[in-house]
Amino acid sequence: MKKTAVAIVIIIAAALVAFLAYDGTVNKEITSDFFSMNTYSTVKLKGAESDEAAEEIRSLTEKLDTEILSRTSSKSVVSVLNKNGGGNAEKISDYLNVLFDVCKKSGGAFDFTLGAVSDLWSFSSNPVLPDETAIKDALSHSGYDKMKFDGKEIDYSDKAAVIDFGGAGKGIALDEIKTVLENKKIREAVVSIGGSVLLMGDKKFTVGIRNPEGNSGSYIAKLHIPEGCVSTSGSYEQQFEFGGRKYHHILDPETGYPVDNGLLSVTIVSDSGILTDALSTACFVLGYEKGKELAENYGCGVVFVTEEKKVYAENGAENYIEITDNAYTLVMQ
Amino acid sequence: MNLKFIKKGDIIMIAVIIIAAAVFMLWNNSKTEAVQAVITVDGEVVKTVDLGNIKEKITFIPATEPRVLITAENGKIRFESAECEDKLCVACGNLSKHGDTAVCLPSKTVITVTGSDVDAVVY
Repeated sequence: MKKTAVAIVIIIAAALVAFLAYDGTVNKEITSDFFSMNTYSTVKLKGAESDEAAEEIRSLTEKLDTEILSRTSSKSVVSVLNKNGGGNAEKISDYLNVLFDVCKKSGGAFDFTLGAVSDLWSFSSNPVLPDETAIKDALSHSGYDKMKFDGKEIDYSDKAAVIDFGGAGKGIALDEIKTVLENKKIREAVVSIGGSVLLMGDKKFTVGIRNPEGNSGSYIAKLHIPEGCVSTSGSYEQQFEFGGRKYHHILDPETGYPVDNGLLSVTIVSDSGILTDALSTACFVLGYEKGKELAENYGCGVVFVTEEKKVYAENGAENYIEITDNAYTLVMQ
Repeated sequence: MNLKFIKKGDIIMIAVIIIAAAVFMLWNNSKTEAVQAVITVDGEVVKTVDLGNIKEKITFIPATEPRVLITAENGKIRFESAECEDKLCVACGNLSKHGDTAVCLPSKTVITVTGSDVDAVVY
């Protein structure tokens, strides 16, 4: 009995020492959310510097929007360029290099110079169809091929053209956030900027692909993937009904009207946020066959969800997708 | 049986510890996970609703501009109406499953049913 008592005391003492010596902040876990870039964002972090990192992410995102990307903030780099029809673009040259590349490789299916066209579309509760002539006119002033970019200066040959980073802004934010997190004591991070997601850490993450007919937390499939970026372009995000027809926000750069090709969403998985964002739009516009080729060209996993509730997972995505909603069928090609 | 180092008292003590641990585990597992909905405005929690324990319909209007009306009953919660332009939050309908989320951007109001089994949802 005496020996047992001694053993128990030793065990308790050892546990107490271990408990006191353990630095609880190493595994500090926080969840926070905020609104900026005209969208809703969530941040989940594990690590000693979670609080500081979350605050830095919040201010970085706001700053990135108001000082660089926003078209409503008159002093942002993009606003100034649009106003002057070009100018010094060194602050956004890294972004422009990637975006021009996607424009070219997608044959113009992705085009970030369509601002004048997208401005004609409104997704309020009292929608009005834009005038056809106005769309044609706006289109005639748009097109990435009308821009000259030498790595520093950008020159809009048509001064009425409007650059709009709406199709890549969330991904750009994720790339900048990644740099912040790499310099902080953070072991694990899941950051969602308006539904575009950054994953960091040594574990295998589970990411849901949104149910096109459900709320923003419900999903039809899971992706079991290591760290990286995931982005979806979906026709359900901003849409309205007019004259018995549905109109959504993903515009075909050729027609100026919403893409109508039987797709509900396209999801891209890659290491780069800006690329996943731009490619998800490009592949949505291109449709399954050409979109698959483009994603392959960039070495990115891609998942297409169709109106017929068929799911096509390509370029490796077939190995990590799990359909969780019985209404949807995974199709092997 | 010749148990030199273990006495009767030791066996009783070990048995008591094992039984206590088993009882604790059974009690812990039997607890059903509550389905809770959290309402936040601009990142701050303004109300938590236990969806499994609603006796009468709950109506809630957080202090936001534009205003939104949230209702909860029988294990579900929703944006019933909203004074915003797009009304995407109302279109989300009822939220009842773990992870269900509806966001009203203009009023910065979010309803989330806690306990999603994925790290994130892309949309």
